[in-house]
Amino acid sequence: MNKCTNKEVAFFGKITAGITHEMKNVLAIIRESSGLMGDIISISPEAIVKHQEKIQNSMVRIKDQIERGIGLTDRLNKFAHSTDETLSKIDLREAIEQLVTLAQRFARLKHVVLKTMTPDHEGPPVTLVTRHVQLQMALFASLECCFTVLSAGGEINVGIRKLEGKNVVNVVCKGDLPGQSEFVRNISESENWPALQEIAACLEGSAKLDETAHGIVLSFPDEIRR
Amino acid sequence: MIIKVLLVDDEKDFVETLAQRLEVRDFDVKTAFDGDQALGLVREFDFDVIILDVLMPGKDGIQTLKEIKDLRPLAHVIMLTGNATVDTAIEGMKLGAYDYLMKPTETEILVEKIMSAHKIKAEHEERIRQAEIKGLLKRRGW
Repeated sequence: MNKCTNKEVAFFGKITAGITHEMKNVLAIIRESSGLMGDIISISPEAIVKHQEKIQNSMVRIKDQIERGIGLTDRLNKFAHSTDETLSKIDLREAIEQLVTLAQRFARLKHVVLKTMTPDHEGPPVTLVTRHVQLQMALFASLECCFTVLSAGGEINVGIRKLEGKNVVNVVCKGDLPGQSEFVRNISESENWPALQEIAACLEGSAKLDETAHGIVLSFPDEIRR
Repeated sequence: MIIKVLLVDDEKDFVETLAQRLEVRDFDVKTAFDGDQALGLVREFDFDVIILDVLMPGKDGIQTLKEIKDLRPLAHVIMLTGNATVDTAIEGMKLGAYDYLMKPTETEILVEKIMSAHKIKAEHEERIRQAEIKGLLKRRGW
């Protein structure tokens, strides 16, 4: 057990609360849509014809929300399984896709667009042996650092590349941003920055401010010592 | 009398469907998806009851509530809240919100709250009207 382990529960709580909140919205929309169909049916048989468009729209909404719910449940299930093994072989690209999906609600609350630079299944897999939960914590902490400096309408792009044998994750901020030096100061003074440093160290990697762009560069080894 | 309701929540599908359910029940409903949009409608229309989500992107529910109360002190606001934001909803009640409801709420319970909020608002407005008539009569010496 390392010193980051005791923060895993809080991280799990935060992500799970966000996703279950989304699930409640999904279920609320399904309930209201089916309720609306029930309302119309109970008015009169003629009302069904008169409000046919509303009934059809409700059915489309229910179908869409079921798809959204399946997607959220699938991500949450994979997230829960990340605790199965302390150390595991991970596809970094997939881990980023997963985390970016889980963090969408947090980005939306900040009016920030969050996306990956490399879509799913594009490029060769980047695999590493690491602590899966803490890897996700590091990725999320880097996003939280960006949330503190981005204003509404901003954007975060997350991409990966191999550099000198290291697995590098670039978290790049776009939008209405201050100059590079002020950006660096704002990020390094944010409360999430020391936490990010600590988690990256627990993974035998590093978290640095990007000297060429508004962003954060995370670096992780192929395999951490057991 | 048709009750004028404003629904404010960032879940568009939820707001639009709930609005239709209230319209089926003869409420006059308008919708907004964030605090600023809601405030724009509050300036333009005189709503009886405003259903306001506590947690929204951008301007949050509490700030939106304060500004609604500045613009329309008599409008009754019902806060919509999740488990994590009940304290915020209670803070909203201290700032003048009529009540709060946990999401997802039963439509029938929401309708009951809207009706009782409107009743209190109508009584308040009637008392103001009576006081104005009394004041007018007094000033004219009748």
